[in-house]
Amino acid sequence: MKPLFTFNNSKKAPKNDQPDRAVPVSRPLSHSLEANLLELQQGVGKSSDVVFRRIGQITDKFPLALVYINGLVNSDKVNQAILQPLTESTDLKEKEMTAEAAFNLIQDQIVKVSDMAELKTFETLQASLFEGNTVILTEGMNRALAADTAGWEKRSITEPSSHGVIRGPKESFTEDLRTGTALLRRRIKSPDLRVEEYKIGQRTQTSIAIVYLKGIADEEVLAELRRRLNGINTDRVLGSNYIEELIGDGGLTPFPTIQNTERPDAIAGGVLEGQIGILIDGTPFSLLAPSVFFNFFQSVEDYNQRFDISSFLRIIRYLSFFVSMMLPALYIAITTFHQEMVPTTLLVSLAAQREGVPFPALIEALMMELTFDVLREAGVRMPRAIGPAISIVGALVLGQAAVQAGLVSAAMVIVVSFTAICNFVIPAQTMANVIRLLRFLMMLIAGILGLFGIMSFLIVLLIHMAGLHSFGVPYLKPVAPMTPRYLKDIFIRAPHWMMKTRPKIAAAQETQKQSSVPEVKPADRSSQHKEDDSP
Amino acid sequence: MNKGSRKRSRRGLLAILSFSLATAGMTACWDNRELNELGIVSGSAYDREDGQWVTTYQIINPSATSSQGGGGGGQGGPSPPFLTFTERGSTIMEAVARSNLTSTRQLYFAHSRITVINEKVAREGIAQLLDLFLRKPDASETVNVFLSERRAGDILNQLMQITKNQGTGIQLMIQQESELTSYYQGIKMFELSMALSSESHCAAIPEIKLTNREIINKIQEAESTDLPTRIALGRLGILKKDRFIGWMSDREAFGLSFMTDKINSAIIPFTSDPEHNEKLDASANLMDSKTIVRPVWEGDHFVMDIDVKGNAMLLELKGKADLSKPAEVSKFERNIEQNILEYINRSWRTVKKLGADVTMFAPLIHRAFPKRWEHIEKEGNWDTVFQEIEIRPRVSISIDRFGLSSKSYKSVEQD
Repeated sequence: MKPLFTFNNSKKAPKNDQPDRAVPVSRPLSHSLEANLLELQQGVGKSSDVVFRRIGQITDKFPLALVYINGLVNSDKVNQAILQPLTESTDLKEKEMTAEAAFNLIQDQIVKVSDMAELKTFETLQASLFEGNTVILTEGMNRALAADTAGWEKRSITEPSSHGVIRGPKESFTEDLRTGTALLRRRIKSPDLRVEEYKIGQRTQTSIAIVYLKGIADEEVLAELRRRLNGINTDRVLGSNYIEELIGDGGLTPFPTIQNTERPDAIAGGVLEGQIGILIDGTPFSLLAPSVFFNFFQSVEDYNQRFDISSFLRIIRYLSFFVSMMLPALYIAITTFHQEMVPTTLLVSLAAQREGVPFPALIEALMMELTFDVLREAGVRMPRAIGPAISIVGALVLGQAAVQAGLVSAAMVIVVSFTAICNFVIPAQTMANVIRLLRFLMMLIAGILGLFGIMSFLIVLLIHMAGLHSFGVPYLKPVAPMTPRYLKDIFIRAPHWMMKTRPKIAAAQETQKQSSVPEVKPADRSSQHKEDDSP
Repeated sequence: MNKGSRKRSRRGLLAILSFSLATAGMTACWDNRELNELGIVSGSAYDREDGQWVTTYQIINPSATSSQGGGGGGQGGPSPPFLTFTERGSTIMEAVARSNLTSTRQLYFAHSRITVINEKVAREGIAQLLDLFLRKPDASETVNVFLSERRAGDILNQLMQITKNQGTGIQLMIQQESELTSYYQGIKMFELSMALSSESHCAAIPEIKLTNREIINKIQEAESTDLPTRIALGRLGILKKDRFIGWMSDREAFGLSFMTDKINSAIIPFTSDPEHNEKLDASANLMDSKTIVRPVWEGDHFVMDIDVKGNAMLLELKGKADLSKPAEVSKFERNIEQNILEYINRSWRTVKKLGADVTMFAPLIHRAFPKRWEHIEKEGNWDTVFQEIEIRPRVSISIDRFGLSSKSYKSVEQD
């Protein structure tokens, strides 16, 4: 319970005393091809995937070399656009010219690659290699050419596996950052969509792109995000949670302050609401910030279905949140402290079930909840082939067999199962995990203090949540501080035509009329073509 | 938030936290009772013998009552749906405390449904009992109260069919009776205390009895279709100032229900053709009845104007009748009204004899004539004023529905 009170918002200050922080020393290329190659070779060691390919050693006129990393480049592209033109060029073989002229000739005419760059230091050269470029080094020049030949094996765009919807786009991000930005560009065809790229992680040099709509995203939030990203001092970023934890607010709060999703439409929706998307190379999961508590109960599905059913489902989600957090605790509290609250018939049948149970309700509940979490974790770890085994065994441990063995009461099995099911209703896994933890705390308190304890804990929790911020946005906005007109998309989902303004929840700069289209009268609202309002 | 105030708020939070943690430790499960430590009381009975309280508690036996027998603990052999404990003590709570000498379970009263009071106990006064129920936190004031002429504990021992939980069963019985028959209403402990502390200081408690001497208290005996002894509702006991003063028969109680506007639905038998046949040979269901009582000061005594209005549905008819003729219908209506008048008058005679204002005239007079009431209170002569009260009942019943046929069967037969 103690961590809940840590209001630490300023822990993200860069730590400069880290020992292995790279000291930027720039080593320039030399004029000698052999010297350059040797230096490069020493730099990467005997890595088998680095290919050094020398050309023109026989003619001796302009010896040059290609360096690339096998697997990161598209071999066909290297062969056809670089190697073939270079070896077949008569000019290069026969014409007399200076090294400078030859270098320019290669750059301008011979190499047929769209994206080329000149490199002058070994550091940039190495970095360029690791991005899949082919580096062309020539004799007599202290500059090198980098041709973009990146073409590694990529996973194709598939259906999202963790955020499924019934009606809606079936694309998800892949591990490739460029695919991600392209998916977003395809959804928001506006020049205001800005993509800023960062390299984070001294060793992994992971590309991270922040995506936002200029003019809609709050400049202050942007500045704060940039400051936090620049302040990150780590040697690795291997997934989205590295970034989430390094830049998130709230200290040791269990509540997430940044959303994550693998759905491009969810990121596009958030960006249109003024949130900032953070795409990370190497993981299909992207982040959205700033995020308030209620964002975690919104699902893209809400905007793809009619408003009435969406509102209903959203209410169900909030209910499930509370049920999942409190049901075992309420069961404990009511059956051990407040028996008068249960209808007599139910009480009698509960008492009958408890007749042969050896443990107090609290121990029974803790035991069963832990069992469920063990099962759940086992289900994730299990190889797919033996997956069905877990459901069979699970049904025994958490089911009728356990009741018949006299270990637990049947009511407790139902409570635990319903709690578990409710937990899966919450669209954001991070939020669902919060209550997985809080549940245990709540059960303990309910076992000591009953309903009074549950109520006190809820109050403490509320106070804690009211004190949280996500990038300067109060965590309970727009409920606390209350802005009634922003509530259209919080507990219910108002029809699209009613949501004319962009709520300022996500720190959007201003409340704007939707789509800057002149206001449409309700009579012809069916023909209205609107473009935003869906995070 | 600047640094200083954040530091201060953190210290405040820590203080709150440590305080709440400390209190959590202090409480140490003081109220923690597991369900299998509780004896859920469904009914209690109070007798007095040799100057001591004899209390009987009926405890639900969960594994026998619950539908699926319970998990794990279902040992073979039928066990009764409830068990009873009888204890003696100079006070009620002493008797309760002594029950722990024989019972494995802590008595838990919150789900108690009925309380049966022996007539003798009621004659001596039930103030102590009322106080206990209003004072003790887990004693529910919503228990239905009954009077019993025989030993009250015997009632709780009697097994019931269909509704195995006897306390609940008796509560259902009285609810159904007041809903469908309306001879009298069940009274709950809080209603009883409210009635006894009102201006009239009177209350009516239904009687609960066993139809035979012998008690059916073994499940084997309860397996026959027609139990030789059953639980039944009987007369209406009248209390004045927490003491029992007498009984009213169920018919007299019926009239009282009309006077106090407590009729929900009732069956009224009547004579379809009083000129030729005096016997009751038809009945109607009074579906909706409203009584308005108005006190009037007539110089030297009060007269209560009692207006009963209601709608009825014809249910059975012996003689010839054509219901499409309004004259015949209104003849029936007059007969029904006559019967109700008879009920009311008979009831009033008994009430007057008992001298107990269960008709609740006192609050009405207080409301209508506050000055005169003050005078009565000062004189303390309500009892004599009450004896001088005259009632002027007027009943108007209309038969709105005749059921599915518009002619009596006899008429059809002759046609």
